Amino acid sequence: MNCRECVDHLYEFLDRELTPELEREIREHLEDCPPCSEQYDFEELFKKFLRARCRTQGAPEELKKRVLRELFGE
Amino acid sequence: MAQPPSPAPTDQKRESFRKEALVHLDVLYRVALRLTANPSDADDLVQETMLKAYRAWDQYEQGTNAKAWLLTILRHAFINEYRRRIRHPETVDIDAIEPFAVFSEVQDEDPQGAFFDRIVDDEVLRAIDQLPEAFRETLVLSDVEGMSYQEIAGILGVPIGTVKSRLFRARQLLQGKLYDYAVEMGYIKGTPA
Repeated sequence: MNCRECVDHLYEFLDRELTPELEREIREHLEDCPPCSEQYDFEELFKKFLRARCRTQGAPEELKKRVLRELFGE
Repeated sequence: MAQPPSPAPTDQKRESFRKEALVHLDVLYRVALRLTANPSDADDLVQETMLKAYRAWDQYEQGTNAKAWLLTILRHAFINEYRRRIRHPETVDIDAIEPFAVFSEVQDEDPQGAFFDRIVDDEVLRAIDQLPEAFRETLVLSDVEGMSYQEIAGILGVPIGTVKSRLFRARQLLQGKLYDYAVEMGYIKGTPA
């Protein structure tokens, strides 16, 4: 596995979408390659950051009540 | 001794719908909000999705993937009834958008991407809302709602390869927007993308 191949698969690795063999190859490459590992950390942090920023909001209480009322007459 | 009466079919349907569908109301609302960009339309879209889902509940195979099933209904409802009305047709050629690698811009100054942490929720959501729709929906389903490529491909009706390439470009585009914002706000020196 070279750096180019590693970077090409970085998002799939991050998203846990690779086959176990390819996942292992990437993991081994990241252990030995500080620049790729740094890029991986950056992308991982960005993914966590997005999730944290965008999941604070849920359905408003009023909508929940409205749905229950419409569906079940509650 | 007499057996307790078994629950009426309507009660059973309600109960299973509560357990499997209504628990996803928050997810549906967040996705609806990103698609419509308007809380009142998002409310209506979710309401309509739930009504359609409840009517079609007998067709849903229980214990499978209710979240993906509901999101597919939501997206169809959005395309058929909302998109034309509330968003101007997009003229962006999404294939022509050049990816911009923020990491290579910041790796000397801030390789950990600490500048992202200074950007507040509203600003992030605003940046997502500026993405072309095909990118926006893919990114939200993956990064915010944690769906797999296969699930997203099913919801959007596109091949997995398309999900991958959209996700790649959506992330780069969003990072670029947030990076520009961070430069503008002085969170990071850099040069605007």
